Amino acid sequence: MDEVIWIEVLGRHREVAARHRVGASEVRIGRGYDNDVVIDDPYVAAQHLVIRRDEAGALAAYDIGSANGTFVEPGGRRVETVVLDGDSVLRIGHTQLRVRDPRYSVARERASERPRPVWPSAVALAVAIIAIELVSLWLKETDEAKFSRYLQPPVILAGVVLSWTAVWAILSRIFAGQARFERNVRIALVGMLAYSLYNEAAEYLGFALTWRALAAYEYVAFWCLLAAICFFHLREIGPTHLRLKGGAVAALLVVGVGMQTLSQSELRTDVGQMNVSRRVLPPMLRLAPVSEEGRFFADVERLRDKLDHDRAETPTGASAGDTGD
Amino acid sequence: MALKPLFLLIALLLSGAAFAQSPEAPISSTAERLYATARPRLLQIRTLVSAAGRQSSLGSGFLVSADGLAVTNYHVVSHAALEPKTYRLEYAAADGARGALTLLAIDLANDLAVVRLDRSDVPFFAFDPRAAGGELAKGERLYSMGNPLDLGFTIVEGTYNGLVERSYNERIHFTGALNPGMSGGPAVSAEGAIIGVNVAKQFGGDLVSFLVPGRFAATLVRRAQEHPAPAGMDWHAEIGAQLAHWQAGLYEATSGRGFRPVALGPYETVESAAPWFNCWAHTNAGQVPKPRASADITTCNSETRVFVADDLVTGNIRLVNAYFRALELNQFQFAAFVSQQSQPPWPGSGDKKWRTPQRCHEDFLATAADGKHPALRAVWCARAYREFAGLYDVTVTALTQDSGREALVSRLSLQGTSYDNAVSIAKHFLEAVQWTK
Repeated sequence: MDEVIWIEVLGRHREVAARHRVGASEVRIGRGYDNDVVIDDPYVAAQHLVIRRDEAGALAAYDIGSANGTFVEPGGRRVETVVLDGDSVLRIGHTQLRVRDPRYSVARERASERPRPVWPSAVALAVAIIAIELVSLWLKETDEAKFSRYLQPPVILAGVVLSWTAVWAILSRIFAGQARFERNVRIALVGMLAYSLYNEAAEYLGFALTWRALAAYEYVAFWCLLAAICFFHLREIGPTHLRLKGGAVAALLVVGVGMQTLSQSELRTDVGQMNVSRRVLPPMLRLAPVSEEGRFFADVERLRDKLDHDRAETPTGASAGDTGD
Repeated sequence: MALKPLFLLIALLLSGAAFAQSPEAPISSTAERLYATARPRLLQIRTLVSAAGRQSSLGSGFLVSADGLAVTNYHVVSHAALEPKTYRLEYAAADGARGALTLLAIDLANDLAVVRLDRSDVPFFAFDPRAAGGELAKGERLYSMGNPLDLGFTIVEGTYNGLVERSYNERIHFTGALNPGMSGGPAVSAEGAIIGVNVAKQFGGDLVSFLVPGRFAATLVRRAQEHPAPAGMDWHAEIGAQLAHWQAGLYEATSGRGFRPVALGPYETVESAAPWFNCWAHTNAGQVPKPRASADITTCNSETRVFVADDLVTGNIRLVNAYFRALELNQFQFAAFVSQQSQPPWPGSGDKKWRTPQRCHEDFLATAADGKHPALRAVWCARAYREFAGLYDVTVTALTQDSGREALVSRLSLQGTSYDNAVSIAKHFLEAVQWTK
């Protein structure tokens, strides 16, 4: 009976770069032309490996005296002899190899389905974002409405989303082989819609319930959303290494939030703490009951303590040289 | 546009001097005689940067006692008082003599200072007893002296026009040309006795000048003789104490004069009935294109300013009552319009020297549940003075919360006030906001 052994030369990302069918019970691998499979890798010996069945009948690799050796992935152990299953990867020199025989069982065929088009949802998202921006702009309009002002949000949105997505599409094309532009656009748009909704909610709830923290920590929401978007873009590139990608994104989040918290606290020491809602809304939107006057002035008294603390804390002006008594 | 009642203080920084020559006034024989006697009694007061030994600002002064006491303006010596390590004082007499000056006493509210020369047995001016009793007649000739723009000592003839009306700090209205550099110089009667001390001129007016009444100077000279400041005196503490005392008097006097109701649309609020408040109205009715919300704004200013340093003038009380009504704006747009008008002031980062950063507190409150007082959005913002304990700048802004189509915005800005005074006056103003219906 004719034995068949498949030798697969793998690329950097373990994709199959070349596949050799050898119809013999022993395969010799090396750089020399007396081999069955010739490897053009200067780090591979002229006669490097032999593949044949061992006593138990399993395929095994035998290093036949190379200087650089043979390694088995995962783990990168150096071996003289190793029994192979269809999934172990051998490294000789800078080349990765996989050995399979006809008995290797492959996964079931994937069902062919027509992918649902992505663009309708992307368009719907874009329309929603633009609608929110335009309505919010119109509700803040105190002068005569200028058409050019209302043209800005869609143009800016298009510019930002397209350039952002282009970057991810290029990365995706490089690392996954596919640009997946529509799916990346949708991820960016979902993120923008979430941010836009957060801002509106911060403004309305901030006024209705006097929750100023929502607006004060808007930047945290921004960085969280940015991190989430990046994570989904990365997942779109490839579903592997999700933990690593999550870690990278979390690091981005920590750096971003940390930096902005620092700059905000420096701004506070510089010009003070406003702690005031940016915008008032029609009184009918107020939900929380009003405070007692006494409570307001009690809070104002507490502010005095903070101011006196500020005064004590900061060094007096350079001019205060002489101390009295 | 409202007339901006800005005072230009006469202390002259040479770098910023504008050498505008004015036509010389005809000099009467009285002036000639007065100047001849006054000349040895006049001083130019120079502030020098100690390290460089060069002048950084100039003013005038005059001798008031044989043992070498002289009067000038506080703002002429403020650098040396606040930063004694950087600046020192020097005088230059008309005969060219020069020497060091020691600061003995200051009166911040009246912008006066008493200094001591390093020599005695000098001729000096006497105070006119009539000035203390207010017995001078409007139109009486006064002669003001000093060294304008460092051009040499001059004498200027002008007229006494009584006390400035509706001014909290007493000032003589002098119709005559005062120029930068004459600050601290004397204004004398035809007999050569001190009536007042040159202090300021009205920016944008012609010959409208101001003198500090001589009796304040006489009082300060007595104080300097009885309790002269010890060497190495900490003027910061003294300035803080004088400011605190002055503002206590101002707030007591202001509350004493009471408040009068003002109707704005359906709302009623109050403004001070004290005569030293100067009120101006402003409307956007004539604006083109036609405004989409009407604004009727009344601004009342106390014009009570106290000079502490070049970059710190404090003591003003300001009350703005504004009534806004939507004309073509919906409720949201009107709210956005009102937000712009009712945001608390955002101080720049520039003023870190004198004041702490600003802190604010915002709340929605009801002053009384009697159906007469609308709910208010109140914002309280305050900054403390770094070097003057117990003094603050406070701004309180109230916005009525009863209608989406009209609103009253009241803003009270208090400079250099004690916290308790600010709280009590703010309480009064918040409680005063009500419906007229």
